[in-house]
Amino acid sequence: MKPVPPNKKLNTGNQNVTGYAFISPFLIGLFSLTLFPILYSLYLSFTDFDLMGTPNWIGLDNYQRMFTEDPTFWKSMKVTFFYAGVAVPIRLVFALLVALALNKVVEMVGLYRTLLYLPSVVGGSIAVSIMWRQLFGNDGAFNSILASIGLPTHSWLGDPDTAIWTLIVLYGWQFGSSMLIFLAGLRNIPKTFYEASSVDGAGPIRQFFIITIPLLTPVILFNTIMQVIQGFMAFTPSFVVTNGGPVNSTLLYVLYMYQRAFEYFDMGYASAMAWVMLVIIAIFTALIFKSSEHWVHYESDAK
Amino acid sequence: MKKFLVFSLMALMLASVLAACSNSDEASGEDSSGSDVTTLRMTWWGSQSRHDQTQEIIKAFEEENPDIKIEAEFTGFDGYFEKMAAQASGNNLPDIMQQNFGEYLNQYADKELLADLTPFVEDGSIDVEGVSDTIMESGKKNGKLLGIPTGTNALTAFYNKDMLDAAGVDVSDGQWTWEDYEQYTTSISEATGEYGARLMEPKNLFEYYLREKGKTLFNEDGTGLGYEDDQLLVDYFERNLELEEKGAIPNYDTIQQIKGVEDELIVRGEAAFDFRWSNQATALDSAAGDKPIGMTLLPGENNSQGMYLKPAMLWSISENSEHKEEAARFIDFFVNNIKVYEIGGSDRGVPIKEEIRSELSADLSETDQKVFDYIEMVTENSSPIDSNFPPESSEILAELTKIDELVMYGELSAEEGAEQFRSTVERIMSR
Repeated sequence: MKPVPPNKKLNTGNQNVTGYAFISPFLIGLFSLTLFPILYSLYLSFTDFDLMGTPNWIGLDNYQRMFTEDPTFWKSMKVTFFYAGVAVPIRLVFALLVALALNKVVEMVGLYRTLLYLPSVVGGSIAVSIMWRQLFGNDGAFNSILASIGLPTHSWLGDPDTAIWTLIVLYGWQFGSSMLIFLAGLRNIPKTFYEASSVDGAGPIRQFFIITIPLLTPVILFNTIMQVIQGFMAFTPSFVVTNGGPVNSTLLYVLYMYQRAFEYFDMGYASAMAWVMLVIIAIFTALIFKSSEHWVHYESDAK
Repeated sequence: MKKFLVFSLMALMLASVLAACSNSDEASGEDSSGSDVTTLRMTWWGSQSRHDQTQEIIKAFEEENPDIKIEAEFTGFDGYFEKMAAQASGNNLPDIMQQNFGEYLNQYADKELLADLTPFVEDGSIDVEGVSDTIMESGKKNGKLLGIPTGTNALTAFYNKDMLDAAGVDVSDGQWTWEDYEQYTTSISEATGEYGARLMEPKNLFEYYLREKGKTLFNEDGTGLGYEDDQLLVDYFERNLELEEKGAIPNYDTIQQIKGVEDELIVRGEAAFDFRWSNQATALDSAAGDKPIGMTLLPGENNSQGMYLKPAMLWSISENSEHKEEAARFIDFFVNNIKVYEIGGSDRGVPIKEEIRSELSADLSETDQKVFDYIEMVTENSSPIDSNFPPESSEILAELTKIDELVMYGELSAEEGAEQFRSTVERIMSR
């Protein structure tokens, strides 16, 4: 290719059309299935839309109602923050530990990886949630095991203090996708670093903290952001396993939003809730990014 | 050439996307073979036994009406109306829809989502000759006939005879007070080591309790509560709290794990009493095996004032249906064809047509005989149903259930619960 003289305009119109033609499926999808509904829900959040009639503009009423007159909203907020705050770190730590273990495996690595990834493949699904309900039910497998080794059984799903923990455990158990990403990150760390440090007399624990963790920080950052977003948006487990009960102790934010929209036909209010959640997630993501300057190391950073 | 290719590609993409976006009415109109077969969509909620029976009924209907094909969508009651709401918002309700009397019928009436069936009744395409006015009245709202009742229903105290015998209790004449109820459940649970009764569902039973005390849940014009004294709700809560404390009834943690009518405590022999709708006798009996399940009136000194007949459910035709006439033909078939009841028995209530009832009575199954007799009993001991449900009532009743749960878990006292219910209702009504 000869370099093009800068002052000569290229006739690229034709090529652009071709390009747009090829990405048109994505563009059409983006506009009609993503962008339009997003903006429409913003409009709906200022109306009293009830799913069937015509929306009437009511200004900030929905937001005002949410913050001042709806104790259930605050309850669901509390539940969601607790859930995300506990379940996300558990999942990340678990994923990292399993990835470290797998990284040591030399034979049959594919098989192990697949087996460990399975819960997450079927993870978001109704089937696993239904299984969970059976598992922790009063006559479920978990209680049977406890009984057989002589420990007291408990109504795990029926007790407001423990029901949320069954969901947290479920979230932690579906660590597959973060684990795979960690594994890829681990594989990327050059062996020479470890060899050099062991020559200098560093043990595996020290190696882990001075080599593995620092070099893994970009991957940790990525996983944290993805999981925080997922944690805030969790819906299926509480919908299927407990339906928000007992006494709203597992009423995740998105589940409450769903109830508002489809059980009480309160679509305007639910749209407003969605936008509040968007702002919350945006703030968290921004904070994590902001903090990453202090703890994430990129190898390319020549500092 | 290249340009042509690109544009045809684009056109193809656009066409396919537009086709996907447009409200494709493939479910209606002619099928591919070109013959004039109309496809109708139909939805209902229910238990597994109802799903099986209804599909058989549809088969029988299609045999007699080869020009109509019915596509069925069915779920349990939980989630049914959420699903319908989503379809309603997309202007995509099924042609034939099983509707519920009260909060939902009023809500759909309010939003004008259902077709007025009066013309079909007038020209005889839905034949309801001789059906009592009270029954037909229950499908009317704002002067329009929005649904044809599938059958008659009533709240029932189901009981396990063996467990009552074990405690020497007999309630078959329906003469029992709330004090009796408390005493019986306690003594049964002591005698059998199981629960005396299932925990009551506040949605229907608090309303019944109010009626029995001469009050209503909502006031005349549906703008607020129909009772002044919160003590009524406090009493309702405290009765359940007391029994739960004695171990005579279970708490929500047990109830929560029940996966449907077939899985109820009474079916498993773990509770003696269960208050629910009479048409569920079919599902209960089919799951209960050889346990003798009896049916009687709910407790209360004035239970004939509290008891009422209710349309078990209604068949409605949606306003957006393009095949209202064909849909009406199915409803007519359902009301007038004996096969429907030979297949389904009393699962959707006792048939509304006198001739069907008398034709059936010759060889009723044991369960259906029981239900028919019970409906007779209620007919003689009941007062008219209340229909002043505001459109917000589904939310209000859901809140009542939540508050009941909070009270049963001890997070609120009975008084706080009653107070919170009233303030919640006021808040919802004022929006």
